[in-house]
Amino acid sequence: MTSPAARWVGQAVRRREDPRLLAGRGRYVDDVTMPGLLHAAFVRSPVARGVIRGIDTSAARDLPGVVAVYTAADLNEPGRPFWKTMTGPTGQPPHRLLAEGDVRFTGDVMALVVAESRYLAEDGAELVDVDIDPLPPVLDPAAAAGKGDGEAGGVPLVHPELGTNVADELPAAPRPDVDAVFASAAHVITETFGQHRYLPVPMETRGVVASWDRWSDRLELVISGQGAHEVRLFYSRYFGIPEDRIRVLMGDVGGSFGQKVFPVNDEIAVVAAARKLGRPVKWIEDRSENLIAGGHARDQSMRVSFALGADGVVLGARTDLTENVGAFPAGGSGSMLLAAMVVFPGPYRIGAFAATGRAYFTNTGSRCAYRGPWMIETTAREQMMDVAAAELGIDPLELRRRNVIKPGDLPFTTAVGLTYEAVSPAQTLEQAAELIGYDEFRVRQRQARAEGRLTGIGMSVYIEPLGAPGILATEAATIRIEPGGTVNVYMSTGSHGQSLETTLVQVVADHLGAALDDIHLIQGDTAATPYGPGTSGSRSAIVASGAAAQASGSMRERVLAIAGALLEADPADLAMTDSRISVAGDPDSGLSLAEVVAAAYLNPASLPPGTPAGLEVSERYRAPMLNFSNAAHACTVEVDPATGVVRILRYVVSEDCGNMINPMVVEGQIAGGVVQGIGGVFYEHMVYDADGNPLPTTFLDYLLPTAAEVPDLEYGHVVTPSAAPGGFKGMGEGGAIASPAALANAVRDALAPLGVRITTQPLTPEKIISLIEDGRPLR
Amino acid sequence: MSELDVTLTVNGERRRARVEPRRTLADLLRQELGLTGTHLACEHGVCGSCTVLVDGEAVRSCLMFGVQADGSEVTTVEGLAGDEPGSLGPVQRAFWETHGLQCGFCTPGFVVSVTAFLRECPDPDDEQIRAALSGNLCRCTGYQGIVRAVRLAARLCRNEKDHDERGGGELEVTGD
Amino acid sequence: MCVSAKGAYLKAAVFEYHQPASAEAAVEMLAELGEDAKVLAGGQSLVPVMAMRLGRPEHLVDVNRVAGLGGVTRSDGMLRVGALTRHRALERDLVIGRDVPLLARAAPYIGHFQIRNRGTLGGSLAHADPAAELPAVAVALDAGIEAHSVRGVRRIPADDFFVSAFTTVLEPDELVTAVHLPVWGAGSGFAVAELTRRHGDFAIAGAACGVQVAGGRIIRAAVALFGMGSVPVRAWSAEQALADTLAAEADLTAIGSEAVAALHPPADAHGSAAYRRRVGAHMVTRALRTALAEAQRGSS
Repeated sequence: MTSPAARWVGQAVRRREDPRLLAGRGRYVDDVTMPGLLHAAFVRSPVARGVIRGIDTSAARDLPGVVAVYTAADLNEPGRPFWKTMTGPTGQPPHRLLAEGDVRFTGDVMALVVAESRYLAEDGAELVDVDIDPLPPVLDPAAAAGKGDGEAGGVPLVHPELGTNVADELPAAPRPDVDAVFASAAHVITETFGQHRYLPVPMETRGVVASWDRWSDRLELVISGQGAHEVRLFYSRYFGIPEDRIRVLMGDVGGSFGQKVFPVNDEIAVVAAARKLGRPVKWIEDRSENLIAGGHARDQSMRVSFALGADGVVLGARTDLTENVGAFPAGGSGSMLLAAMVVFPGPYRIGAFAATGRAYFTNTGSRCAYRGPWMIETTAREQMMDVAAAELGIDPLELRRRNVIKPGDLPFTTAVGLTYEAVSPAQTLEQAAELIGYDEFRVRQRQARAEGRLTGIGMSVYIEPLGAPGILATEAATIRIEPGGTVNVYMSTGSHGQSLETTLVQVVADHLGAALDDIHLIQGDTAATPYGPGTSGSRSAIVASGAAAQASGSMRERVLAIAGALLEADPADLAMTDSRISVAGDPDSGLSLAEVVAAAYLNPASLPPGTPAGLEVSERYRAPMLNFSNAAHACTVEVDPATGVVRILRYVVSEDCGNMINPMVVEGQIAGGVVQGIGGVFYEHMVYDADGNPLPTTFLDYLLPTAAEVPDLEYGHVVTPSAAPGGFKGMGEGGAIASPAALANAVRDALAPLGVRITTQPLTPEKIISLIEDGRPLR
Repeated sequence: MSELDVTLTVNGERRRARVEPRRTLADLLRQELGLTGTHLACEHGVCGSCTVLVDGEAVRSCLMFGVQADGSEVTTVEGLAGDEPGSLGPVQRAFWETHGLQCGFCTPGFVVSVTAFLRECPDPDDEQIRAALSGNLCRCTGYQGIVRAVRLAARLCRNEKDHDERGGGELEVTGD
Repeated sequence: MCVSAKGAYLKAAVFEYHQPASAEAAVEMLAELGEDAKVLAGGQSLVPVMAMRLGRPEHLVDVNRVAGLGGVTRSDGMLRVGALTRHRALERDLVIGRDVPLLARAAPYIGHFQIRNRGTLGGSLAHADPAAELPAVAVALDAGIEAHSVRGVRRIPADDFFVSAFTTVLEPDELVTAVHLPVWGAGSGFAVAELTRRHGDFAIAGAACGVQVAGGRIIRAAVALFGMGSVPVRAWSAEQALADTLAAEADLTAIGSEAVAALHPPADAHGSAAYRRRVGAHMVTRALRTALAEAQRGSS
């Protein structure tokens, strides 16, 4: 059989999703309506920590239009399994649907009002009286740790049941190998890099419509999420209902970036309320709720020590990571200690490495997943490279050149035991440097500095692991060719901006040979699609496309077998392109796919005996457990010494994600991530006051970058195909992983003549002025 | 307060609703009139996802009460499609060409805002484009495809205007 | 201890809606309803406050259909601009652009064009946000704010109008109907400069300035700062320092420092007092530089 032509893969095909979304015909959760639909609103704790003395719901229940008001006593069922499949049953804090006995962060849900409209539900929520005795909250790791000896001592406990505020720990272990490297190194440099708390902020907030369908005797959920099957599995486990008694639908999802991966207690409470009430209930998180309690991220500090040779080669490294995971991290303990450790060595040949760390619960918003949740390792490592370069008097690009893994080093096994094969950090480093015009910039910078202008250049190089362990390892695709010739592909992906309706169709078109416009992806319906964990962790380009390719290949065989029987030709001599099967080399011969379909469905007697009938194939693909994509970012900035405002002059990314299914989609993913990094470094900051109240609760104070704050991004591509079918690699998180370090490095470089030390974010204009005015000499 | 009758023209069609005064124009369009293309992403007038045209001008529909639109002409994203059923207008076609959307949630607000902007400023430079876009937030695209969409839409709108002025007929979209 | 539950509200509480057709009817309603009523003009500031339930007026008096609140008329060296004039109209009206350029140049800084399509001159002044541009323009130009009530009409000097953050001398039943602004003579230049975190945001600090030059000397100067106090601040000592100096020799950097020296700007999440002073000084310098350049071109 001839191999598939690469006709659509690699092309910047216009998106299948766009016509409906552009015409306003998308269907997001809040667009869903049904007869008798009720609306939910929450009463949330106004304090970060306190004992609940009472919740008086009587006035709320009496309000006309309010149908029910629930508290913990109504909905909580302790003992129900609350764990998420991906993270497993251990290590998580005690979860509850509604606050019971106490509140543990500002925004903790205390009561759920169900009413005929959201307006009335909020009226009801206002009438609920809560009586709380506030207690002093624990807001940061230092406070959570108490005396720092690991014992809580007199420190308030976020979760008294646990007896500790430690959510996770990477304990120190004797590492004489690392000690030896440090002891004999020419230079030992230590610095601590902090990144502040910031948030995913998808444009569509979280939400769910829950109803019990009486005809099918089934719980039906429409959810804004990242994977319908995971949601079904969770609720099946939680309620103790067989999976086939739950149907989860995802229509269009307005972004997520990890925030919607795990079911969270407020959403679960709504589902429980709908079940209890026996009526459909919709909850849409509003923007204030999303900022306060929708899931928080980053908020980590990493102390890094490098042991360097005289030539700047990083011989060894030690890291110690401190994390603030908030009160109720959504998945497991919320900790990234292990992930950050595994990825830290990154693109460099660091020989000896040891990592320690602690993650702490606090009475603050709970950690969720957010685009590259482990990325503190890149933020810290890449800034450390620049700090070390300055200390040693070596240009940061040159220092990276001396350390980066080169093609001749491959396969390379890192100090943590990861083996890289198909990566290209050195090539992306060089491409990024060339695209930004690194050497020319240094020349112009000297001139600018002579004029008193503060311009700077910063780089960041990273390797992104694309993990497919456990439940993430497989993906299935069911392909059905309908009697009319339409090719329907059923997958459990949960695209929320990744263009899977287009890219997976491109893969199927090439591997099957059907016409692009005849192929459709159906996702987001547990009743129709095979099980899979959904879209997250940059897995879709490998795992989902692998499944699509594998199933397409099997379907192609099936079609060609039937076509061969009808044409009395050997299937090995047949080719199929654009839904036309012909004898290879004789394009005018042959059959259309529609004719094959007609024979299979309508006239199976026309097929010789032994020819498989029917045109439905279901295959499950198992991805290699680890793949890697990599990129290098480079940017230039100018800092206004009068106001501290940073202007980004240019931003380039050299990306290697193997073969690209759709380059336009790849660049779009990079762009979104980079701008989230720009937001994180310069504009976004979730900060609490001393009482544990979140200060930015609306978009007036939580600042997202607009088009006016962002330059045109520039891209270069290096292609090192993966071993997976098609040679694709996922890459969706990378833009957000590398950008903060590149930007911080550029600002550091711009301020270098002023003796400024940058170790924290965000880098607001005022922060930059205070750094300039405090100017301590570089170490 | 008891409800009030509101009569307005939406996308060329006369529509009526009966709403409390506190119901925003956004909610009236989405719920009473079933036009869910206009989205709510902040409800306090910052993100621009709810942008519609009221009497030809782009406004944040979450910052108007529905009763204020009585007697007005409102255009939502659904009303910006092309002349043929199921077709897209020039601004929408431009966004399609340039990958100006990913999750699509902010997109209707951008399409309406850009439509209004280009009517007033048919040949904008990049600085004008970025300033005009700054009232709409996007989280997926990093604005890259959106800025390209506006550049292309400006050309398409000018071509279409020239085309209409010269008598109409088939018009090809050529990407850039 | 009872703590009121803080919901996260983004749907407004119930209110009664009134839509008077005339200014007389509007002020009668306001007199009758008293403190329970708020005027709804552009709504760009009021509606979010109501959505968040931080403000819950029981009555809204929608003045968008009141006759006679628009229009621009000139007489006796003054321009009368109707209170309901939208920010977008301030940007584009030819008469305003010619006769009170500072007003036209401040308008584009207000938020985004979608906001400016609805926001009004009268509404901005009545709202009295300390970080807003139009109150500073009114103060810089010694504008007179015309207000109607059942007791009659009065014209309030801008200098007296702003009391503190979001507070003016307006009685609860008074309706701003117009703003009277002086038209400066030949040889004038005007500019606004502000620093924001993002395009269209409220100013961290800003300056609205006018200068008039004759025979190479500065004969008139107006400098008003916004974001630098609870009300717009007129930088009298800076204006005095500019008075009668040679335009070509004016030390604008020193003038900028002088303008902020005695100020105690607010400190909040967007800037400390010290940072605001620093930025305010730079904004004064930048605005004066632009205004002076225009004035010198016009006077030669």
